[in-house]
Amino acid sequence: MSTAASENVWALEEGEVRKPGIAHIVALALFTGIGIVVGTFGSLAIPIGFVSAFWPGQAIQAVGSIWYGMWGGIAAFVFPLISNAMSGSAPLPVSMAYIPANFVQGMAAGWVFRQYKLHPALTSARDWWGFTLVGIIAANAFGALWGTSVLRAFGLITPAAHLVAWAGWFIGNSVASWVLGVLLLKFISPLVIKTKAFCKGYWA
Amino acid sequence: MAQTMELSAAKPPLRKMRRTLLGTVPVQSPIYELHPATRLFTLLFLGVVSLFIDLPEINILLIIAIFIYLRWAKVDISGLKIYLPLTVTVAIFMFTVSIAFPGADPNFHSFRFLGITFYLEPLYWTFASYWRLMAMLFGTIQYFSTNRERETLVAVRSLKVPFVITYFLSLALRSAGMFLEDMRTIREAERARGLDETSMSLRDRAKLYAMYMIPLFTLAIRRTDEISNALYARGYTPSGKLENEKQRSDYILTQYQFRRIDTILIAAMVITFVLVGVLRIGFGVFAVTQSPLRIFLLSLF
Repeated sequence: MSTAASENVWALEEGEVRKPGIAHIVALALFTGIGIVVGTFGSLAIPIGFVSAFWPGQAIQAVGSIWYGMWGGIAAFVFPLISNAMSGSAPLPVSMAYIPANFVQGMAAGWVFRQYKLHPALTSARDWWGFTLVGIIAANAFGALWGTSVLRAFGLITPAAHLVAWAGWFIGNSVASWVLGVLLLKFISPLVIKTKAFCKGYWA
Repeated sequence: MAQTMELSAAKPPLRKMRRTLLGTVPVQSPIYELHPATRLFTLLFLGVVSLFIDLPEINILLIIAIFIYLRWAKVDISGLKIYLPLTVTVAIFMFTVSIAFPGADPNFHSFRFLGITFYLEPLYWTFASYWRLMAMLFGTIQYFSTNRERETLVAVRSLKVPFVITYFLSLALRSAGMFLEDMRTIREAERARGLDETSMSLRDRAKLYAMYMIPLFTLAIRRTDEISNALYARGYTPSGKLENEKQRSDYILTQYQFRRIDTILIAAMVITFVLVGVLRIGFGVFAVTQSPLRIFLLSLF
C-alpha cells in the first residue's frame, strides 16, 4: 500500500486547532468566482437551454465541498444563481428554486469523503468508487430529479416529458462532471490539502 | 504642422467605454444617472415579475421594453448575440418536448400538419412559457449588461447587507473577472500556436475545456493564500469592524448619490410587482386562458 493511500488527510494532528477564518471566506469567494466562469462557459459552449445536458459546474460543486467543506457547499448554490443568469440558461426565480439541489449536488461528495475518510487525490479504488457513486451518480440523480421537477412546476416541460428530461439532464451532467472532477481531484488535490483553507472538518 | 492639426481635427472623438459584467457601456450612458440600488431593483423586478404573467402578449411587450431600455442606456446590443443560439435551442427543445409528449387530455383541440397531430392547448402553453422564460432571462441579462461588479457591491451595501456578505460577493465577482482574464491568456497562447477551436468536434471542445481547468485552478488556489494573507496583514475581520469596534468607513458609497428619481423608480417597481402578484394569485389575472391570441386560435376550431 502506498504512503499516499494510507494517509488520512482528515485526521487532526496532535494539538491542532482549526477554526473558520478569513482564508475560508476568501476560498469561498474565489471558488464562487471560478464556478461563475465554469458554469457560464459550460452552458454557453454547448447551448442546450435550461435543461442542462452538459454542465461541468457540478464538478466544481463536488470538488469544492471535498476541499472546503461547507464553504464549498455554500459556493455550490451561490455561483449557479449568477452563472445561470449570465449564460441565460435559467432566470432568477428558476435558479432560486434550484438552490436545494445545488447544495446537495455539492455536499454529497464532501460528506462521503469525510464520512469514509476517502483521499481527495483519489489514491485508492475506494476513493474512486466513493466519488463516482455518491459525488457524481447519486448527486446528479437527485439534482436532475429536483431540477426537472422545478421545470415542471414552472411549466417549462410537460409532465409527460419529465422522465426524458431527467435522463438527459442526469446522463449529460454526470459524464461532464465526472471527467472534470477526476482531473481536478487527481492533479490539484495534492496542492490544496497543503493550504490553510483546506477543511478537514465541515467548517475548518 | 498644419497638416497634423488637420488630421487630428478629422479624428472622431474618443468614446470612453465602461466594461460591465457582460459587455461595454459608454461612460456617458444615461443609465449612470441612476443609483446602483435602483439598477439592482430592475434586476429583481424584470427578472421575476414575469413569474406571475402567463400572457405571452405582455411578456413580449416586456422584452421589447427591456431592449428599449438597453438602447436608451447605449448598451452595445450586438454583444447579446451570444444568446441567440440559446434562444433558438430552448425553443426547439420546448416545442419538441411539447409535440412529442403533449399529455393525454380528450378535451385538447387537435389538428394535423405534415402527417403529425398537434394539440393546441399544450402547444400554446409552451409558446406562453417560452416568452415568459425569455422575458425573465432578458430581465436578468439587462442587469449584467449594464453594471460592473463595483456597482453591484454599492447596491448591496446601500441596502445595508452585512459586511461579510458584501465582501464575499465583491471578491467572488472580481475573482470571476481574474479567472476570465487568466483563461483568455491561455486561450490566446493556444491560438497563437495554431489551435482552431471552431474546427474542433464537440467532444474535443469539451476535452479542451476540461484541460483549461488545471492551470486555472492552480492559479486561483495560490491567489487564495495571497489574498487572505494580504487581508490579514491589513487587519480585516469578517465583521468588518476595526480593533476599536468602530465600523470601517466606506469610500465607494460616497461616490454615488441617491436622487428623487431613484426613490420614484424603486417605489414604482415595488408597487407594480406587488400589484401584479396580488392580481395573479388573488384574482387569477394574467392567466394563459385570458390570452387574446389563444382565444382567437380556439375560435378557429
